[in-house]
Amino acid sequence: MFLDSVLLILQEILEAALLLSVLLAVNLQLGAQVSEARQLGGLWYAAAICCGILGAAAFAWAMPTITGWFNDVGQEVTNAGMHFVIIACLYVHCRLLRKKADSERMRSLGAGLTLITVIALAITREGSEIFLYLRGISGGPSGVTSAVLGAGVACGIGVSTGILLYFGLLSLSRRAALRVGLALLSLFAGNMAAQAVQLLIQADWIPYSAPLWDTSGILQEYTITGQLLYALVGYEATPSLIQVSSYLGAMLLIASTPLFRQHWWSGKISA
Amino acid sequence: MGRPTRVAAASLALLMSWVAEAGVPEILLVIRDHLFFPSTLEIPAGVKVRIVIDNQDSTPEEFESYPLNREKVISGNSRTVVFIGPLPPGEYPFFGEFYPKTAQGKVVVR
Repeated sequence: MFLDSVLLILQEILEAALLLSVLLAVNLQLGAQVSEARQLGGLWYAAAICCGILGAAAFAWAMPTITGWFNDVGQEVTNAGMHFVIIACLYVHCRLLRKKADSERMRSLGAGLTLITVIALAITREGSEIFLYLRGISGGPSGVTSAVLGAGVACGIGVSTGILLYFGLLSLSRRAALRVGLALLSLFAGNMAAQAVQLLIQADWIPYSAPLWDTSGILQEYTITGQLLYALVGYEATPSLIQVSSYLGAMLLIASTPLFRQHWWSGKISA
Repeated sequence: MGRPTRVAAASLALLMSWVAEAGVPEILLVIRDHLFFPSTLEIPAGVKVRIVIDNQDSTPEEFESYPLNREKVISGNSRTVVFIGPLPPGEYPFFGEFYPKTAQGKVVVR
């Protein structure tokens, strides 16, 4: 029970924790680089995390109702919708971080709001499953204490991994940090898109297609490495063509932003 | 009920709901005491199937399968739907993520 809980909750926490730490690091590096742009304050992040936790509790609470929407596929459609909103906000966020707007305040506000939305929705999506899990085991025959303990340990590991990635990115040179950070953001977007498409296939809104390849013989999804790769780059052993193409599409969307192009394709960094 | 009888009963139920739904066959999967009933679902190859999952426990459970790429929360005392297939013949294990030790099952595609 203990190990099951650790793995299940870690899987949920990792994705949000990694996304949050990359966003933090990228914003910090950009804030330091672009002198006139005010760094997004810690208050934004705190607000985003609070919104996310409240959202997760509300989403878990409303799950029976939401599941019933759209002929019993409301859960898939709502989750997929959240993923698409996260991708759109990531895109706008990246654009706003680069754009030289007439009004600096509006730019900061826009960047802040998209940041809050991305983090809050990521936490809502992943956190709601933790709330549901804890509710699921609370009425169980045994092992509630060890499950809750497992949840605590998973939180510790998940948050530590996020912190490790954050400081790892900050330990690089600014240019390398921005490059890696932005590349990771585009991978996150791809991951989100592939997951959203998968959910819509499950809901029968997108027709099923056979897997494009099968790497389950090399790396199973349920192993720790598989889970870590899933959280980081959306590893799936048997993806379909439409999943792979939406993954690439969302990656390219982020890679098409001027911010990304500036740091990846042009030799010099100019503010 | 012996295994052949069970399979025959399940096939008959499947066939009947198939006719009723005009195209998409439906199959019932019950969750009770953190176990799946039946623990083996037999479905024909190359056909899309609608699995109706009826969670009779008071706590939520999550239907999860890596080979099927499916993941869905079923609230306590409620039912929901998961579509699978069309699939090639084979065995596709699934489990209840909240009680993975006991809640185990598989889809057998023939």
